[in-house]
Amino acid sequence: MSEFDEQLREIIPRLRRFAVSLTRNSSSADDLVQASLERALSGWSAKRAEGDVRAWLFAILYRQFLDAHRRSRRYARMLEFFTGRDDAEPSVERTVIAQSTLQAFDRLPTEQRALLLMVSVEGLSYKEVAEILDVPTGTVMSRLSRARQALRQLSDGEISSPSLRILK
Amino acid sequence: MISMPPSERDLHAYVDHQLNEADRRLIDTWLATHPEAAAQVRAWQHDAQLLRAALGGALQQPANPELDPALIRQRLKRQSRRHLASAAVLLIAVGIGGFSGWQAREMTLVRSSPLPMTDALQAYRLIAQQGMLPADYKVDTDGDMQRWLDRYFTQASRLPDLKSAGFEPVSGRLLSTDEGPAAMVMYEDRSGHKVSFYVRPPGPKNTFLPRGSRSDGDLQADYWSGGGYNYAMVSPTDSPAVQQLRQSLPL
Repeated sequence: MSEFDEQLREIIPRLRRFAVSLTRNSSSADDLVQASLERALSGWSAKRAEGDVRAWLFAILYRQFLDAHRRSRRYARMLEFFTGRDDAEPSVERTVIAQSTLQAFDRLPTEQRALLLMVSVEGLSYKEVAEILDVPTGTVMSRLSRARQALRQLSDGEISSPSLRILK
Repeated sequence: MISMPPSERDLHAYVDHQLNEADRRLIDTWLATHPEAAAQVRAWQHDAQLLRAALGGALQQPANPELDPALIRQRLKRQSRRHLASAAVLLIAVGIGGFSGWQAREMTLVRSSPLPMTDALQAYRLIAQQGMLPADYKVDTDGDMQRWLDRYFTQASRLPDLKSAGFEPVSGRLLSTDEGPAAMVMYEDRSGHKVSFYVRPPGPKNTFLPRGSRSDGDLQADYWSGGGYNYAMVSPTDSPAVQQLRQSLPL
């Protein structure tokens, strides 16, 4: 049990990062991580991950995020929480770490952000990502291709028209 | 084994280290003679590096103690104990058996009933009329009842003083309902008439009640909200002593 907890503790920073990249808000991100850990720990003995614990936790978190996102369409308060910032001005945190790639990343749709984080940053396999997103591996690859092009275009755009949008 | 020339997918897989060693070497060789594709691949690799660097900082956030697995385990255990506690009340009530046991079940299963404070009426029937469920607490001296109630409901309004009508608090009982933990304080007068004071949280839907009253069979419930709780006074409708009491209620 405590060995498993140690393993979790090592993954928690990664979960938090994934959650921030989805919610773009660090306090709702931690709420999301907490809800995911509760889900994981309440059922872990029954359906514990067969393979990578990290991929399993990412899957739980992504599903929790989608559920919350769906609920957010129904509840105005949650709407503000999760999507209110989507089209609004960037937060202070985002301004501080204003690097063009990150700015471009932040403008991608949620699923492309999740995909790039899992593949490029976390280095999860296509198969693991396919399971997390619940789509075939081929779909992961074609979406990845679109996400990379989008990131490329946005990054180039950021370089040619420097941080006006960010600094206003 | 991939086929040559590589597809765009193969190039992505190359960037993401998802190819086996042989395929990887094939693409290395092919890229050496295809500068345009090589530039594209380098750009993707570069973006991935930048993204890793930019998001690296997000791993250095100060730890949030709320997210510690041991603490979350504890919280989950407490929650399931609370569920067990509600189940225990249910079992006790059903264990008493027969028809009244069935009613006890109904009582604990009251779910967002359309009529306000149905649970207060059911608690009265169960305890005052059928004598099921023994009291958790019996009054010895004056003022004890308030202290007992304060242990569980710190911000609840004071117990009503019904002495002028001849009623004194005699016993208390804690109950578990779907709306949360409830307490019922029983008052009695000299001739054994009983009225109950019932308090519980407003429930998960935060249902606060405007002051009102309704009758249900031979009982009447007067209900209201205040200080974050819902209250009810339940009394039989047919007794003159109680009617007199109701007129003098300081509610």
